[in-house]
Amino acid sequence: MTTTRRNLFKLAGGAAVGAMFTPAPWRLITDAALLSETWPGVPKPKRGEVSFQFGNCGLCPAGCAVRARSIGGQPVSLAGVAGHPLSHGALCAFGVAGHHLPYHPGRLKSGPAAQAAAAVRAALGQLRDTEHCAVLDLRPGRTASWTYRRAMASLHNGIYLTPEAPVVVNLSAARTVLSLGAGLYDNWGTPGNVIAAREQFRLFQAEPVESRTAVMADVWLPIRPASEDALALGIAHLLLAEKAVAGLPAGFIDRVKEFPPAVAAERTGIAEAQIAALAGELREHAPSLVIDEAGSPYATALNVILGAPGHTLVTRREAPVPDAWKNAASAADLAAVRDGSIRVLLIDESAPGDACPWNEIQPKLADHAAVVTFACSEEGYGRHANFVLPTAVYPEIVDDIPPAVDSPAAAFRLSAALMPPPDGMTNPADFIGALVGIDPKNALQDRAEAIRKSGRGSLFVPSTACSTPTKDVKPADFWKLLQAGATWIDDIDPRAAAPKLEIPALPVETRAAAFPLVVAATEAGTPAVGSPLLSKIYQESGLRLAPAGVAMHPSDARASGLEAGSRARFETASGSVAVSVTLDAAIPRGVVEIGGGPGIRNLCGARTSARVVRS
Amino acid sequence: MKIPGFLPFAVGALAALAAGWAAFPHAIYKTERQPVDFSHKVHADKAGQKCDDCHSFRADGTFAGIPSLDKCAGCHAAPMGTTAAEKSFIDQYVTPNHEPQWFDYARQPQNVWFSHTTHVKLGGLKCESCHGAMGDSDSLRPYQEDRISGYSRDIWGRPVVRAAFRTEGGMKMDDCVACHRQRGFTHSCLDCHK
Amino acid sequence: MTESGKPVKAARYGMAIDIDRCTGCGACMVACAVENNIPPAHEGVTDRKGITWIRVYKVDNGAADAGRRSAFVPVLCQHCGKDTPCVHVCPQQAVDVDPSTGVVGEIPTRCLGCRYCVAACPYHARYFNWWDPAWPAGMEKTMNPDVAPRMRGVVEKCNFCHGRWHEARQRAAADGKPVTEPVAYLPACAEACPTRAITFGDLNDPANAASVAAHGAGSFRLLEKLDTDPKIHYISKRDWVRAIADAPRPGNGKESTRG
Repeated sequence: MTTTRRNLFKLAGGAAVGAMFTPAPWRLITDAALLSETWPGVPKPKRGEVSFQFGNCGLCPAGCAVRARSIGGQPVSLAGVAGHPLSHGALCAFGVAGHHLPYHPGRLKSGPAAQAAAAVRAALGQLRDTEHCAVLDLRPGRTASWTYRRAMASLHNGIYLTPEAPVVVNLSAARTVLSLGAGLYDNWGTPGNVIAAREQFRLFQAEPVESRTAVMADVWLPIRPASEDALALGIAHLLLAEKAVAGLPAGFIDRVKEFPPAVAAERTGIAEAQIAALAGELREHAPSLVIDEAGSPYATALNVILGAPGHTLVTRREAPVPDAWKNAASAADLAAVRDGSIRVLLIDESAPGDACPWNEIQPKLADHAAVVTFACSEEGYGRHANFVLPTAVYPEIVDDIPPAVDSPAAAFRLSAALMPPPDGMTNPADFIGALVGIDPKNALQDRAEAIRKSGRGSLFVPSTACSTPTKDVKPADFWKLLQAGATWIDDIDPRAAAPKLEIPALPVETRAAAFPLVVAATEAGTPAVGSPLLSKIYQESGLRLAPAGVAMHPSDARASGLEAGSRARFETASGSVAVSVTLDAAIPRGVVEIGGGPGIRNLCGARTSARVVRS
Repeated sequence: MKIPGFLPFAVGALAALAAGWAAFPHAIYKTERQPVDFSHKVHADKAGQKCDDCHSFRADGTFAGIPSLDKCAGCHAAPMGTTAAEKSFIDQYVTPNHEPQWFDYARQPQNVWFSHTTHVKLGGLKCESCHGAMGDSDSLRPYQEDRISGYSRDIWGRPVVRAAFRTEGGMKMDDCVACHRQRGFTHSCLDCHK
Repeated sequence: MTESGKPVKAARYGMAIDIDRCTGCGACMVACAVENNIPPAHEGVTDRKGITWIRVYKVDNGAADAGRRSAFVPVLCQHCGKDTPCVHVCPQQAVDVDPSTGVVGEIPTRCLGCRYCVAACPYHARYFNWWDPAWPAGMEKTMNPDVAPRMRGVVEKCNFCHGRWHEARQRAAADGKPVTEPVAYLPACAEACPTRAITFGDLNDPANAASVAAHGAGSFRLLEKLDTDPKIHYISKRDWVRAIADAPRPGNGKESTRG
């Protein structure tokens, strides 16, 4: 047979026709479709046994109670604990995805621990008498904080620094609340507590931008940017006109005289009648409270006038500690530290709360100071530090969470370790303790024992949703229950004195022309790190401003040569950070709204002056 | 001699038919042996075990499936018999605490939800109805897997040809639907899909 | 497709969402993504291409300055009970309405990605997978095995956390309860909402909270004029919020023609 091309085609044709009568092609088609569904491009969830574990969320000082659902030991989802006396079952958008943090792509995986230790030891060895070793603790009140305080006390020139602690708020006692830009619904305090207490008070939100809190408030006062102080002074004027209050500094009284309602109205853009009505409500529907995001002295003075101390502003005793710890250093005032005197600075931002702007710290550092920061990403103080040592993140370690600003009683609760941390992480308490020979391994248990011995308070156990007085809890059970997610809540001390509010020196009003915009930090309260899944509320819906984002009025943007989506630099006196620009005509002119995250949080607080420039 | 014009065509057709019917079923399936030569019969007879002693239901209704190593190690920490298979199992898996990577004959695709509890406890189905008489087998048969889709041969059904109206022990959707129809259960897509 | 067999006591699972209580926190959005294995966004994603089975919109009354009032409205698949638009248009019959639960179920593995249903849905509640899911390294371990992940090229949407319904049914079976009784369970968004703005339950059962709120005063539904019989009832005391429900879509009304 000759092999002609025609014969070849006939052969092929025959094969094709014959193949159609076999299962092969049909099966291959089905299999190809199935392959497209089973290929490794789509990861498959692992099966396994379901188990539940209780703990508390370590992302912010609220420390909301959490129930983790795990499959084969791997946490796959988190939910709140209904009936919890502090969090009332609430868990915020960040807490709900907290179990993703160990896998965050921006997470640091290794750091020069040995080098850092050597550098710190060398610097400590050469410490002059006038120089200090300082620890900056961004979430004070933890057991680790006590380790730092003990360490600094045992060093010759050790000082312990924290951001200024806000006065404790008893929200459930309030009937009228004036918030000067404080985001009560934006990760302030304990979300569940704010929601539970909300029914009982009228909320007046004074801020230039319509934040979520402004939407939920009873009245939103759209004041002009940076006029919060004018509003406070106008209200103080009206209140003091009715009834004088003792104990106010003379400088303040003089300022108040300069702000009759007409002036306040003109500065804030709010009608006189409305300011008068607000003052009336604050006075009539007591107890009242003023919450100021920026902690201005005028707001503090207004709280004194309103008689908030002892009612809505309270003193809170700290959870007991072992007697051996009582010689620990107390927090030093950063402003009182001499410039250029800090030779070694150790920053614990592994459990961040408030921020401390770098431009306040920087002048205190000596030349060639050794700065070590303990963090899970380089975004925060890592920009300025010599060494960034990676730490474990919240679901990987057991750590205690100090009470939030809106918890009138002390609380002691542990974040659960849902999975082991990776190798190469540094524990800041171990590192700092090792410098002075303190071993903090059993510190949490020791503190729990001190709490139990004090007999104070009660223990809420999530698995039974019941509170038991500490006295009635068996000694052996106390620590075990805490490890299983229980929360210890102190009794309110009936004899506690009202907090004495110090009214700091009145600020000199300067508006640097170089920084023409006023910051609206509506996202300031968001936890420093969040799951990558938060893109749902950021880019994928525009519900919130993403961490590396700023929002401004289109005219302001145009004036700086910016458009929607421009890459720009957000700059304050503290430094600058790369951001992406969003335009929003609802934002008043002269205001820039910032996203959350440590990159921006450490640069500024509320009402800082800033600018946004093209990069 | 003149070759008939249809010969190449016929040769091609016959070759394709032979390949498709005889060679293809062998080629499409990959055969693997289970990691341990386990005998259900021995455990059912000598150890007096029933299916759900090892393939158990948990209190919340989930099904444990193929038991994990700690179930086996509960008895086999030390050899209980004299076979070489058991010894190698203990040496390779129990002692180093290494989970055997069993091949799952009945593994359904990712998007299928099958509740053993509903079928066994409420439906009264016996294990043998779907999985065959595993309890009588003295060894585990080889596991055959479609090379392209990755599904077990048990899911498709043993014959390579599956006509829609024949159910020969496969575990495809048609097989589930046929049984559900027979018993008159209302069903909707999401009853069985996730 | 569905078939009838033994009679079951049909449930009509639905929700009552109190707009006056919604704070726009977004916990529902994140909890939904955690439960349903929705991956984080790809680089450069916008709110047009993101996958948010439940999405909270900010709406306002259109007034300027002092008269301006805003609210947050969570929008998810409304599980239309009548003339369900997506069911009508699907060429693959990859969507069905379950007669025993009222849930409109999408089967992504059957979908061929024509996106006709995305266009047909009046509530913009259907989402197309433009990309394969991309999980940061290791994060795929946190996926929920009760929900199957989807590949690119298929449409997906809320199914009232049917994985949780399966689990509740299985638990009921383990307790010996017959399959004919509706089970009580909670989808991820309702469980996560810190203010309890979202309530979920069988609307056929007059006793549960969702049913009571849905049939109570101040309850309305989105785009009632379309007569799709949605199962999501919204509650608000504010008239301008109720007026939004008849508007073309929540938000600033500006349609973007870019992708």
